[in-house]
Amino acid sequence: MALWERLWNTGKSMVVGHGITIREMLRKPVTVRYPEEKPPFERGSRSVPVLKVNEETGLLNCVSCGLCERSCPPSCIEIVQAVGEDGHRKPWPETFQLDLSHCMVCNLCVEACPFDALEMADVVELSSYQVQDLIFNKEQLAELWKTSRALRVAGGERLDAEEAVAAGTPARP
Amino acid sequence: MNILLFSILKAAAVVAFLGLNAFVLIWAERKISGYIQRRYGPLRVGGPAGVFQSAADILKLVAKEDFVPGGADKWLWTLAPAVALVPAVLVYLVLPIGRTVVLQNLNIGLVFFASVTSFTLLGIFMAGWGSNNKYSLVGAMRAGAQLFSYEIPLILSTVGVVVATGTLSLQGIVQAQVTHHEWFVFPQILGFIVFYVASLAELNRTPFDLAEAESELIAGYFTEYSGIRWAMFAIAEYSNLFTTSALGVTLFLGGWHGPWLPGWIWFLIKSYVLVFVGIWIRWTLPRVRIDQLMDLGWKFLFPVSVVNVLGTALYLMVR
Repeated sequence: MALWERLWNTGKSMVVGHGITIREMLRKPVTVRYPEEKPPFERGSRSVPVLKVNEETGLLNCVSCGLCERSCPPSCIEIVQAVGEDGHRKPWPETFQLDLSHCMVCNLCVEACPFDALEMADVVELSSYQVQDLIFNKEQLAELWKTSRALRVAGGERLDAEEAVAAGTPARP
Repeated sequence: MNILLFSILKAAAVVAFLGLNAFVLIWAERKISGYIQRRYGPLRVGGPAGVFQSAADILKLVAKEDFVPGGADKWLWTLAPAVALVPAVLVYLVLPIGRTVVLQNLNIGLVFFASVTSFTLLGIFMAGWGSNNKYSLVGAMRAGAQLFSYEIPLILSTVGVVVATGTLSLQGIVQAQVTHHEWFVFPQILGFIVFYVASLAELNRTPFDLAEAESELIAGYFTEYSGIRWAMFAIAEYSNLFTTSALGVTLFLGGWHGPWLPGWIWFLIKSYVLVFVGIWIRWTLPRVRIDQLMDLGWKFLFPVSVVNVLGTALYLMVR
């Protein structure tokens, strides 16, 4: 009796198993052939800090206070404050350099920024054959911000609570 | 002189087919396994759907260093791939490819096939012993145990067909199926099942690939092999996969018998369908344990094949 049961179970499981494999074989592969095809990147993923641009004035939100520079663990941010013709320091950066080859994507600069001038972008295709090409200046960082679709709370499109939940990330206050 | 030339041509044709077959089957195996796992398999090397992957592989293997491990038994080690390849080439001698296309219609074709294929074990054992590597030796021992115990049900399962037709010639067996208008897979279904399972075990393919189990034995008897020697093992293995499927087609599925198309096309189609089923099984079932393997061989396949032979003989007596 047990023998017949075992035989029956063996046969049944083999038929079921082969059915599964042939069905999977006839379905479309899930592989995304990356450089040729792009997978859909999720909204709200974060890659590198980029500089926000104020939509009304077209200027950077950054006032060059240097808090991000100090908070950066690998010291990949370098800010030089602008000095006007009158010899006074001005509230915008002369240079804002971010060395992506050192950046560890920790988000600490964004948290340190009191003026909401930095944001983590979702741009991931930043690889380069030259290390020099990974040092971004402020214009390049502002351009990156424009191409980023990351969640924006101020200075760009504003997501409401439902939209943010739908995107998988709760809206920041 | 003419006969000699013709023989050389035949041998060249067999070797060419051997290479082409390995080419296609390695590509097909990778492609089918890919699609079963919902991947694409090889795509980038060139040709439609990456068919030149095997060509690139062969070039890479030929270009590799001819490496002999330090403690190896040099003679055994270097001869083993050739010894494994020889039976793979020899069995083409008796395969009835078409109504008139057969290299040598031996009247003991089936015996020739069975005795020649058992030489594969010699190559495996030489490789395992000559490598001076514990994994290789364990793999070769397992292969020995497995091939010895599955040879018996494999041959017994074909005896039913021989009893029914009264001939050992493979061409004669196909001829009998044509004249009876019946493929032996229907009356000999038990024999066919035993034959197919035992042939998978003979070929060392999953679920019976204990001799080369990657997760336990690295690659079993060819752990130490690389480059063109490894390629010779691979070519022999894929050629054996084709020829064993072809024997199954000859004995049970009517050989070259089929409507409309020429015989040799039917023969190739049926053989490659059986090969596909083998690949399909390989990527579905997990590997069995060594004791389960022996259980299956001796406690299930062996009695079933004996019952099949006796049943066939009894039926033919009382009919």
